[in-house]
Amino acid sequence: MRPKVIGFVVILGFAFLLLNLLNFQVIRGREFRRLSDKNCIRILAQDGSRGRILDRNGLVLVTSEISYDLMIFAKSFDNLDSCFWAAAKILETDSKILKTRFKNGYLGAFAPVAVAKNLTLKQAIALEELKMSYPQITVQPHPVRLYTYGRLAAHIIGYLNEIDRWRLTRLEDYGYNTKDIVGFGGVEENYDYYLRQEEGGLSVEVDHRARPVRTLGFKPPKNGKDIELTLDLKIQKIIEEALQGQRGCVVVMQPQTGEILGLASFPNFNPSVFVKRDIPAIRELFRNPEAPLVNRAISSAFPAGSVFKVVVAAAGLETGRLSAAKTFYCSGAMRIGRAEFACWEKHDAQNLVNAMAHSCNIFFYNTGLLAGAKTLHDYAVKFGFAHACGIDLPYETTGFIPSPLWRKVSRMKNWFDGDTANLAIGQGEVLVSPLQIARMMAVFANNGYLVRPYIVKAVDGRDISLYQRKAVRLPIKEATLNYVREGLRGVIAFSDGTASILSVLPISAAGKTGTAQAPPGLSHGWFAGFFPFKNPKFVICVFLERGGAGYYASIVAKQIIERMIQEGLV
Amino acid sequence: MPTTYKVLFIALLIVVVGIMSIYSSTYQKGTGQWQQQIIWLLLGLLCFLFFSNFNYRRFWDITYFLYCLAIFLLLLVFVLGSVRLGAQRWLKVAWFNLQPSELSKLILVIFLARYFSRKSIDDVGLSSRRFGLWQGLILPLIFISVPVALIIEQPDLGSGVMILLIFICMLYVTQLRLRYILIFLALAVSVTPIFWHFLRDYQKDRLMVFLNPNIDPLGAGYTLIQSKIAIGSGAILGKGWLSGTQSQLHFLPESHTDFIFSTFAEEWGFAGGAVLILLYYFIIREGFLIAARTTDHFGRLLGLGISLMLGLQVFVNISMTLGLMPIVGLPLPLMSYGGSSIVVTFISLGILVNIDRRRAVF
Repeated sequence: MRPKVIGFVVILGFAFLLLNLLNFQVIRGREFRRLSDKNCIRILAQDGSRGRILDRNGLVLVTSEISYDLMIFAKSFDNLDSCFWAAAKILETDSKILKTRFKNGYLGAFAPVAVAKNLTLKQAIALEELKMSYPQITVQPHPVRLYTYGRLAAHIIGYLNEIDRWRLTRLEDYGYNTKDIVGFGGVEENYDYYLRQEEGGLSVEVDHRARPVRTLGFKPPKNGKDIELTLDLKIQKIIEEALQGQRGCVVVMQPQTGEILGLASFPNFNPSVFVKRDIPAIRELFRNPEAPLVNRAISSAFPAGSVFKVVVAAAGLETGRLSAAKTFYCSGAMRIGRAEFACWEKHDAQNLVNAMAHSCNIFFYNTGLLAGAKTLHDYAVKFGFAHACGIDLPYETTGFIPSPLWRKVSRMKNWFDGDTANLAIGQGEVLVSPLQIARMMAVFANNGYLVRPYIVKAVDGRDISLYQRKAVRLPIKEATLNYVREGLRGVIAFSDGTASILSVLPISAAGKTGTAQAPPGLSHGWFAGFFPFKNPKFVICVFLERGGAGYYASIVAKQIIERMIQEGLV
Repeated sequence: MPTTYKVLFIALLIVVVGIMSIYSSTYQKGTGQWQQQIIWLLLGLLCFLFFSNFNYRRFWDITYFLYCLAIFLLLLVFVLGSVRLGAQRWLKVAWFNLQPSELSKLILVIFLARYFSRKSIDDVGLSSRRFGLWQGLILPLIFISVPVALIIEQPDLGSGVMILLIFICMLYVTQLRLRYILIFLALAVSVTPIFWHFLRDYQKDRLMVFLNPNIDPLGAGYTLIQSKIAIGSGAILGKGWLSGTQSQLHFLPESHTDFIFSTFAEEWGFAGGAVLILLYYFIIREGFLIAARTTDHFGRLLGLGISLMLGLQVFVNISMTLGLMPIVGLPLPLMSYGGSSIVVTFISLGILVNIDRRRAVF
């Protein structure tokens, strides 16, 4: 009896083994196969180079240069010391430094360790010759980002840095990994997916001590795609020189298409400090209260000041509350509600064109009150304010336009006529970005189209401007556009126009100045305009942060336009 | 086919498969362990030939001598034994590294078979059925504990526990009262916590690792993890002979001795592993059939004991490579590299075959 039971138990035991073997090998086989591959396959990465960034004429803004690293590929530790000694002599350093770097970076016999970086070509060749006697030595070329023009267009380009946690969580699904170098800000960030190189390398089979046994395969690295910008390097240089030393920004745009020809923001930064990992310089960039990393043209919003009057004029004319012939008398001040609202001068009787040329506040207080706050808000939104322009650069601000409804809902306060008057001259809670102003100005330059600004023309040689969103025709009458245009021309053409200094230019320009009060401190200076007047080819917006009156901004604009004429660009 | 040839054929098949796996796992090092194993095999075959013609009844007479020999060899290990892998288990005899604990297993099986097949003068039946607690449990336990204590002290926990397991199984098949066996089991379980303190640190680690292999993946858990990966990655058809990455690239320690099954299963897959397990089952089944056929009590107990010893070793070793049991240093009979194991296993098979041959004599 009992031997039978035992025999049965033996059968059970062996069936148990078979079932477990089945579970391990057949059901979970694939999982274990993967683990076994992970055990014995190592990838020796080899980097491709990141895509270049070019201007519209094919001039290279950002490229990659070859830099040489000294790698030690030690399968054993024999005569390693004399190898370090010989290498240190060429590099003119201490062999102990190389040795400690080797120790710190040593992963296993399968992986070469970088002990010296950024060698000169001479050193690289000398080390390569040393390879005859020390086979451990490998001189590895690898691409390093090179900014041909230094700080030029730094905000458009952006910079490169190690991926942060926030980006990693968003980009993990697109094949990004920790320690990847990715773009931060500008085109580098927005088009990172195209610019980014694909890592290739050798896959090597290793044994339990990570010594290479044989090479399994080689995948050549892929270079990133080149990106061609709409930017014109000559214009970019001109505007950066004109802005030099002042806080603010300039946008130069093609009014019909929305191509950005030049976009500068000051203070700026040198993106190469991130490549060199110059830690003190990087820390300084982040701590600087003037925020040099912020692109003021698209990421910051400021009060619009008198530039906003263009919108008020269009709103008045469109709603029929204002006509070209209508005049208001400016006595230097007017009472709205209980408060006294001042003009910056006494202008006497003013019609639309005069009022724009002189930037008369009284005229626009009245126009604003006639049209009503809601109408002003609605027209501002039509002209693209309070929304992002949709430019293909990251971190664009939407700006803000107040309305009675907003005041009621979110502030629990009433809207008074005084607020309407403030809105009519672009003060109060109005916040706009310089790019939005340039876009608004383009509507009058291109006969009523609201364009979508963009900065990338082609990726990998393929024109992508067709894929950019088309300009939208605003429902604004031809007559309205013409009246406003006339006013904008008057700003420059009239001898007492606020930007009359631009009248000395050999071409005719049109525009509007603005002095936005933002106490405490100096006012912000604005100038936005387009030229030539008859057949506009350029929209320009100059913004000087705490730069005083709009007059100073128009001086910068004048310098820029002069230089552009000199260079034969207009 | 006569049982002798059947047993011999299956055993040879397993040994050949084992030599192929030893060849594969030492292929990269280029050491000639497989040639050594062939010499052991030849020696084993000689022993098989000798013991299959050596009347097993004579063991009855020399049991106590054998028992004393085992004790003597085990004591000798402490005096003269060579230390390898942190344990003192081997006796150097000329060119031969004898592992007395292997031999003790067989000797104790013979001893137990002899002890429990005593007959009383007035009765032809087995007296073990009427054994009291003293005769049936305590006395044999004392006899067993002396060599077991010596083996565990080597330290060779695997062999020690193996002998205890064989002891329990033998108690069961000797018709001893079930309650005595239960008493013994209860005693063993209650003693375990005290026993824990006498374990060596590495043995404690191994037990902890058995419960959770990931607590020390590069230390005590390493072997188990690598063994599971090796077996699992073999999948259905295996990676092919000489192509198992786990064993060829030395990720798997002890790949030609205790973990030979992992090497084999990696290269031959489920197909190979299942066939091997079935081969082991067939050889053990032969043992049980031989025991069932024989009329001699001593022969029956000896046959059962030998079959159980083989079965338990196979079961514990394969379970250990799969992580179903804690890792103990136990070879896989007939497969693992090692002279003592091969020779002792062939001696056991020879005795088994001899029991079948002598059945007609009585």
